[in-house]
Amino acid sequence: MSAVATFRALGDPVRLEMVLRLSRGSSFTLSRISEGLGITRQGARKHLEVLRRAQVVTLAPSGRDVLVQLDPASLVLVKDFVSTMDKQWDTRMERLKQFVEED
Amino acid sequence: MTTIPDTIEREIIVAASQERVYAAISDPTQITQWFPDMVEGSLTPGEQPIFIFEGHGKTRVLIVDARPVDYFAFRWIPGSSDVVDDVTCVPTTLVEFTLEAVEEQTKIFMKESGFAQLPMDVAQEKFDMNSGGWGYMMGRLETFLA
Repeated sequence: MSAVATFRALGDPVRLEMVLRLSRGSSFTLSRISEGLGITRQGARKHLEVLRRAQVVTLAPSGRDVLVQLDPASLVLVKDFVSTMDKQWDTRMERLKQFVEED
Repeated sequence: MTTIPDTIEREIIVAASQERVYAAISDPTQITQWFPDMVEGSLTPGEQPIFIFEGHGKTRVLIVDARPVDYFAFRWIPGSSDVVDDVTCVPTTLVEFTLEAVEEQTKIFMKESGFAQLPMDVAQEKFDMNSGGWGYMMGRLETFLA
């Protein structure tokens, strides 16, 4: 699983909020993690499935509910984030410079 | 463990007039020459236009301020790929461009901030999470560098 795929899975406000909640505590049930997000249980399940496929979370049955946890593997990927971000602004600023200097 | 920068900053000097640079940043027909591929809506303060990145989705931004020819600022969810709802309802970072004439050239100071406003106990995780949001821009970067 590439960092890009993982990041893309997070590129959604609902999924971002879910991961934020997970990062504050240890584990959540599906019901609790989707509280107040304005989505159905089915919708929540769909979002969690995207996160699971990207190896951001793990899902485990827990009685009639589902236990959601952060997948430690995904957290390794964010280490490179700062340099990635820096590079992006380097790229953007370079493009801006080229654009305003061309004539 | 990665440390959390409060801001990302860039300062460059370009061989162009301040007016030219300001237009490149604030004019929807010009910003698309170097940043998003398309802009839907107006780049005037208070407006929430949509930045479209071909192949990577779209994201709504909030234009915070525009002061010709010195300053332009917007808020966004860095890297979000499918956000077309009210951008003020979710965590955002502030991207600011400050321009200054230096003889015949222009100094561009870019600052993106917002990470530091988070509660300390979740700052690292939150930043990491936000880092995820940046991901979809990576594709664009890869294309550019290819």
